[in-house]
Amino acid sequence: MSDVGSRESSLVATFVELTDVLVDDFDVVELLTYLAGRCVEVLGVDAAGMMLASPTGTLQAVASSSEAVRTLELFELQTRQGPCYECFYNATPLANVSLSDALERWPDFAPLALDAGFRSATALPMRVGNTTIGAMNLFRSARADLGVADLIAARAFAHVATIGILQHRAIEAVQVINDQLSAALESRVLIEQAKGMLAERAGVEVEEAFERLRSFARNRNRRLAQVAEGFIGGELALDEILEDGPARSALRHGQVGEGRDGTLVDP
Amino acid sequence: MIGARRRRVERLATRIDAARRAGDDGWLCGACADISGLSGAGIMLMAGDVQRGSLCTSDGVSAAIEELQFSFDEGPCLDAFRDDAPVIEPDLTGSGRSRWPSFAPRAAAAGAAAVFGFPIAVGVVRLGALNLYRSTAGVLSGEQFEDCLALASIAGTTMIELQAQAPEGTLAPGLEAGANLELRVHQAIGMVAAQAEVDVANALAMLRAHALDDGQTLRSVALDVVARELDFRDGRGIRQPRWRHE
Repeated sequence: MSDVGSRESSLVATFVELTDVLVDDFDVVELLTYLAGRCVEVLGVDAAGMMLASPTGTLQAVASSSEAVRTLELFELQTRQGPCYECFYNATPLANVSLSDALERWPDFAPLALDAGFRSATALPMRVGNTTIGAMNLFRSARADLGVADLIAARAFAHVATIGILQHRAIEAVQVINDQLSAALESRVLIEQAKGMLAERAGVEVEEAFERLRSFARNRNRRLAQVAEGFIGGELALDEILEDGPARSALRHGQVGEGRDGTLVDP
Repeated sequence: MIGARRRRVERLATRIDAARRAGDDGWLCGACADISGLSGAGIMLMAGDVQRGSLCTSDGVSAAIEELQFSFDEGPCLDAFRDDAPVIEPDLTGSGRSRWPSFAPRAAAAGAAAVFGFPIAVGVVRLGALNLYRSTAGVLSGEQFEDCLALASIAGTTMIELQAQAPEGTLAPGLEAGANLELRVHQAIGMVAAQAEVDVANALAMLRAHALDDGQTLRSVALDVVARELDFRDGRGIRQPRWRHE
């Protein structure tokens, strides 16, 4: 790229836009598609493709700047050869590999890439610390090498994308655990409320009400919290629960524990 | 700045780990009180925007602070959680009274002179709030403030770590051990909903209103309902003559 000033401003614009992509409704495919496009626009490359590893560790083609690259990347994955594949599994960058010199290294891939009009390939791992989550593939149609400045900028792109994706994954994992925590707390609340409601409406003690709810749930193979919610919400009638007859007193058989504050808990 | 915060968290986390290994039920709150140099600490659990009781309390005053916040739906933890920002109240008998008219005088009577609330979150995931109190009035030192922020952050990751080990649908035993989920209050909510033929949200509002009128906590009102000494059949709490149950 000859116009250094305009390239610098393009780079800055890309990083600014990247941070927008990272904070707004984060979408991995959208992020990587954007990045593939910017590689072509800002760096001296003709096509770019992004691969990410699935949770089981297999690489998948996620985004590309053109359909031709997408086809190439899928071919890479099928034949298990090519710059992106090699770069990911060795977790090391490959810079400016001439495709015509790589006919032995990638016997299936190199001819196909040459046919598609590409002359050289660069692949950069998407890596932070020891964690490699994918790789970025850059193709050039010209014989000349990708410059050092472009390589550095490409590495920075890969780095920012990696950090964004890792952060997003960490937050998702925390969200899942917090949702489980909230659901567990909610279940406890529903069960206690249903106990009180049933005790009042059936004119029995709270302990007896718990027994009724519990045997109803067991007989129908439903979760206690689900039964409680149905009863509180009015979808489950009082008579339906009472029809099951008096509960076997599990208390006497020692099947029910006593909670900290005197409430009965399901063991 | 971020580096300094991280170093502080790492340094305090070592002390928290030591408390965890010593392991009594309220260890997390005990460690927060010790490390901050304040009189006591409690952690309020929130689900959505609803209070779910306390995870732990370090002493009786902290337990009272938690119970009062649950009773009257106001206080430092709720403000910290809802505004997602620290809350500093250096004088419960002065400025605190207008801020929390129901909570402040009762918390002061229980032995707290200054209260502080810090939101507990991991990333964008919000879990609850840490409350700390001191038996003498006054603000926090800069050092204490930084420590409290770090402690709230450690409390969040600790809660997630503990809950991550629990089977789905259950509360991690490590979280449950020191918790007070106010289950009796929820039994009373169910009873009042049936008595007054209202939904559970309205039943809670009726119990809260009664507690406020009667100068009691929500829990003590709830215990009367569960004991069938208080009845909301007529739309308000009416004390039942004892002989009915003899």
